[in-house]
Amino acid sequence: MPPKTIKISLTVVILGLAFAGLMYSTLSEGTEYYKHVDEVMANPGAWQGKRLQLHGFVVDHSILRKPDSLDYRFQVQSNGKVVPVRYSGVVPDTFKGGAEVVLKGRLDGNGFAVEPNGVMAKCPSKYEAKAPAGAAGS
Amino acid sequence: MASLGSLVLLAAFVVASYAVAASVVGARRRSRRLVESGIGAFYFVAALMAVASGIIVHAFVTGNYAIKYVQRYSDSAQPLAYKLASYWGGLDGSIMFWVFLLSAFGAVAVSMNRERHRELIPWVVAVISVTEMFFLFIMVIHNNPFDTYLTAAPAEGRGLNPILQNFYMAIHPPSLYTGFVAMTIPFAFGIAALATGHVDDAWLRAVRRWTMIGWLFLTFGLTLGMLWAYEELGWGGFWVWDPVENAGLLPWFTATAFLHSVMVQERRGMLRVWNVTLVIVTFFLTIFGTFMTRSGVVQSVHAFGEDRELAMMFTVFMVAILVVSFGLVIYRLPLLRARHELDSWVSREAAFLANNWILLFSAFFVLFATMFPTLSEAIAGQRLTVGAPFFNKWMLPIGLILLVLTGIAPLLAWRKSTLTNLFQQLTWPAAAAIVTAGGVAALGIRVWASGICFALCAFVAVTIVQEFIRGAQVRRGATGTDILTALIGLVARSRRRYGGYIVHAGIVLMFLGFAGQGFKQDQQMLLKLGQQGTVGRFTIRHDALTVTSDEQKQMVTGQVTVSENGKQLGEMTPAKWFYSKHESEPTTEVAIRRAPGEDLYIVLAGYDVQSQSATYAVTINPLINWIWFGFGVLALGTGIALLPERALAFAVARLPAEAATTTLVLLLLLMPAVAHAQHTMDASILITPPKNDVEKGLRDEMGCTCGTCAHEPLTKCTCGVAQRMREELRQQVDQGKSREQILAHFTEVYGGQQYLSQPLDSGVGRLAWLFPYALGASGAFVVGLVALRWSRKDAADARESAAEPQKDEADPALKARLDDELRDLD
Repeated sequence: MPPKTIKISLTVVILGLAFAGLMYSTLSEGTEYYKHVDEVMANPGAWQGKRLQLHGFVVDHSILRKPDSLDYRFQVQSNGKVVPVRYSGVVPDTFKGGAEVVLKGRLDGNGFAVEPNGVMAKCPSKYEAKAPAGAAGS
Repeated sequence: MASLGSLVLLAAFVVASYAVAASVVGARRRSRRLVESGIGAFYFVAALMAVASGIIVHAFVTGNYAIKYVQRYSDSAQPLAYKLASYWGGLDGSIMFWVFLLSAFGAVAVSMNRERHRELIPWVVAVISVTEMFFLFIMVIHNNPFDTYLTAAPAEGRGLNPILQNFYMAIHPPSLYTGFVAMTIPFAFGIAALATGHVDDAWLRAVRRWTMIGWLFLTFGLTLGMLWAYEELGWGGFWVWDPVENAGLLPWFTATAFLHSVMVQERRGMLRVWNVTLVIVTFFLTIFGTFMTRSGVVQSVHAFGEDRELAMMFTVFMVAILVVSFGLVIYRLPLLRARHELDSWVSREAAFLANNWILLFSAFFVLFATMFPTLSEAIAGQRLTVGAPFFNKWMLPIGLILLVLTGIAPLLAWRKSTLTNLFQQLTWPAAAAIVTAGGVAALGIRVWASGICFALCAFVAVTIVQEFIRGAQVRRGATGTDILTALIGLVARSRRRYGGYIVHAGIVLMFLGFAGQGFKQDQQMLLKLGQQGTVGRFTIRHDALTVTSDEQKQMVTGQVTVSENGKQLGEMTPAKWFYSKHESEPTTEVAIRRAPGEDLYIVLAGYDVQSQSATYAVTINPLINWIWFGFGVLALGTGIALLPERALAFAVARLPAEAATTTLVLLLLLMPAVAHAQHTMDASILITPPKNDVEKGLRDEMGCTCGTCAHEPLTKCTCGVAQRMREELRQQVDQGKSREQILAHFTEVYGGQQYLSQPLDSGVGRLAWLFPYALGASGAFVVGLVALRWSRKDAADARESAAEPQKDEADPALKARLDDELRDLD
C-alpha cells in the first residue's frame, strides 16, 4: 500500500474511533426514554431512577396546588394506568385537566418527580388544526 | 375564484412538465427553438404562480371563507398584514409560496445567465421545473390550498394561530423559504454542468452569487426564528435544537462550507467533486428539512401533523434526487479530477478543508441527533430522546474550533505558509486572546466555555482588524491616498475578501451573544400585591394585575416596578393575551428591558385574578442583543461581497482628489445612520395612560430629547428616551407637583427648555426655533471645511508622490502576498 493511503486510512480510523467513543459516552448520559404512562406503570420497578420523558394525560380535577407556592401535585394517566406526579415551578398555559403532557423526570417510590421546567404541554394543534379522527391526510 | 386557483395550479404543472420535456429534448437534439420554447414555458410557470398567489391573497384579503385554507388561517378581525402573512401560515399555502418563489428565482436566474451559459440553461430549466412539478403535484393531489367546503361555507374564519401573529413570524418563514429556494439554483446549475459535461469552473461563477444570497436569507431566517422564539414563546432562550430549527440549520452548515470551499476550487482547481457534492447535499437537506417537519417523521413541538402519504411522496422524491445526482457525479468523475494536490497542511486550502469537514460534521451530527428518537425507535424499538444538553455538549466545542479557524485561516497563504510569517501575524491576535482570557479570569468568571469563547472572539476580532489595517497600509503605499480612502478602496477592490471579513466580524459578535448565555440567570417567583423578589441586581415589585380587552383578544397584564441596586428603573408589563377562538392557547407577551449588557426578561407565568397574585418568570440574558446586532454586521458584509463591480468603481479611482470625495460622500451617507442609531423604536414599550390632567397636558407639551425623532411629543414617541422621560414625569406627578413646579424641575434637569416639544412662548424660548437650523448650518460648515482641507492636502500629496519614489514600511513579503491576492481575487 502506498504510504499516503496508509496515512489517510489511519487518520480516518482514529477519528472514527474517537468519534464513536465520544458519541457512545455522551449518548449514554444524554438520552432519555420516551414512554407512555401505561408502559412504565406495567413494570414500575424496572423504570425507577431512569431518566424518562413520560407521555400521558392529566387526570381531570387531580391538579392540586399548595396555596401561595408553585408546588403542584397531579396525576397523569394513559390507557387506565395512573401515576402521581410532583412538580415545583411554572406550568405551561395549556396545563389543565385532560391536557396531553410530556413530563421530564424520574420515577421513584412515591410516584414521578418532574425536574425543573420539565412539564411540556403536547399540543399538536399549535400550527395545524388537529385532523378529526379517521380523516385521511390533513 | 377557488376553482380558477386550482385550474391555475394544474396548468402550472402541465406547463412545467412541457418545460422539462422541451428543454431536455432541445438540449439533446441541439434544437435552439425547442430550448427557447422550454425557457418560455419556464417563464410562463412563474407567471401562473404569480396569478395563483394573487388569487389566494385576494381570497385572504376579501375573506373568502369558502376556501378551507383561508377559513382555517385567517379571520376578519386580523390586521391586513397578518392576512397577507396567513398565505404561508399553513402547510398547503407554504408549499404554494415555495413554488412561487422558486419559479420567480428560477426565471431571474435563467434570464441572467441565458447568454453567458447557453449550454447549461436547458438543463437548469429542466431541473428547476422538475422540482416545481414535485411541489405542484403535492398541491394538486394532496394539499390543494384552493380546496373549498362542499357544504355551506362558514361565515367567519378560525383565525391565524395567535403565536404566529407576530412581526418576526410574518417575515421569518418567507426569509427561510427564500434561502431554501435560492439553494435550488446552484443545484440546478451543478446538475446541468454534470449532465452536459461542462464541469469547468463556469457554472461555479454562475452560482456563487446565488449561494451567497441564499445563505444570507437562510441566516436571516434563522436569526428571525431565534428572535421570534425569544420574544414570543417566553421561555427566556432562543434556541432549543428543536427539529424544525435544525431543519433550517442543516443546509446552512453545508452552504457555509460550500461558500468557503468554492474559493479553493477557483484559486487552486481542487475540491471539484467536493463542491458539487456540497451543492447537491445542500439542496437535498432543504428538501429533507421540509420532509422532516411536514410529514411528522420527527416529533416536535411545532411540527405539522403526521402524514404518511406526504412522507411517501417526499421519500420518493428524495431518493430520486440522491440517485440521479450522485449517479451523475460518479459518471463524470474522470472529468472532475483535481488539478493540484495539497501542498502543505499550513496553507489556506488546508484550513478551508478543515473548516469544511467540521461544518459537514456539524450537519451530520445535528441530522443524526435530530433523527435519533426516530432511529432508535426503528432499530431498538425503544424511543430514546436526546435533548438540548446533548446538542450543546457537542456543538459547543465544534463552534469554538470553527471560531479558531475563522481567525487563523485568513492569515494563512495559499499553497504554503512559512511558519515564521505565520507566527509574526499571530503575535497581536494571540496577545489579545491572552489578555482577554486573563481579564476574564481576573473578573472571576468561572464559566470556562464562555471564557474561552471571549478570548477567541478577541483573537478573531484582532486578526480581522489587522488584515484591514495591513491591507489599507499597502494600498496607501501603492496609491498615495489617505488611510481611510485606502481602506474603502481596498474593500471596493476585493469585495468578497473584505466583505467576508465583515461577515466574520458579525459571527464574532454573535458568538459573544452565545457566550453570554453561560451567565444566564433565571428565577420564578410568586408575588402578592406589593411583594417583591430579587434576581441578580434587579428587584421586581408586583404592583397590579389588570384585565382588559379589545376586539381581538382579552389581555391579562401584570404591572411590575423594576429597580436595580435599589434605584428605580421603571415599570414593565408582561402579559398574557387570550385571542378569541384560541382561548385555550394564550400567548405570552414578554416584557423585555433591552440593554447592550443584558436583557431583563419578564414573563407573566401564572396569575390569580381573585387574590391579585402573579407568578413571574424572570430571566437575565447577558449579551443577547449582540446576536441580533452581529447579524446586522453579517448582512452588511454579505451585501458588500454581493455588490456588483460597478457599484464601488468610483472608490477605486486612483486620483487622490476623487478618493477624498469618496470618503466625504461615505461619511455623509453614514451620518444619518449614526443619528438613527440613537433613536430605536421599541415595540415592547407601552404608553401607560396618564394619571391626571396635569400629566396629560405635560405629555403633549414635552418632546422626546433623543434628538432624532423630530422631537415628537411624549404622547407619541416610542423610543427608549421618551419612555424614560415619561417615567420621570410620572414620578413628578406622583409627588403631587403642579404643572409649573414640574416644568421648573425639568428645566433644571435639562438645563434649558429643549425638552419641550414646542418652546414656551416667551423671550428666550423663541430662540429655540433657531436651534435646528443652527445645527444644520454648522454641520454643513464642518463638512465644507473638511472637504476644502482634504482637497488641498491631497493635491499636495499627489505632487509629493509624483516627485519622489514611494516609501513603504510594510514588510515586503506581506506586501507581495497582499498584492498578489488583491490582483487575483476578483
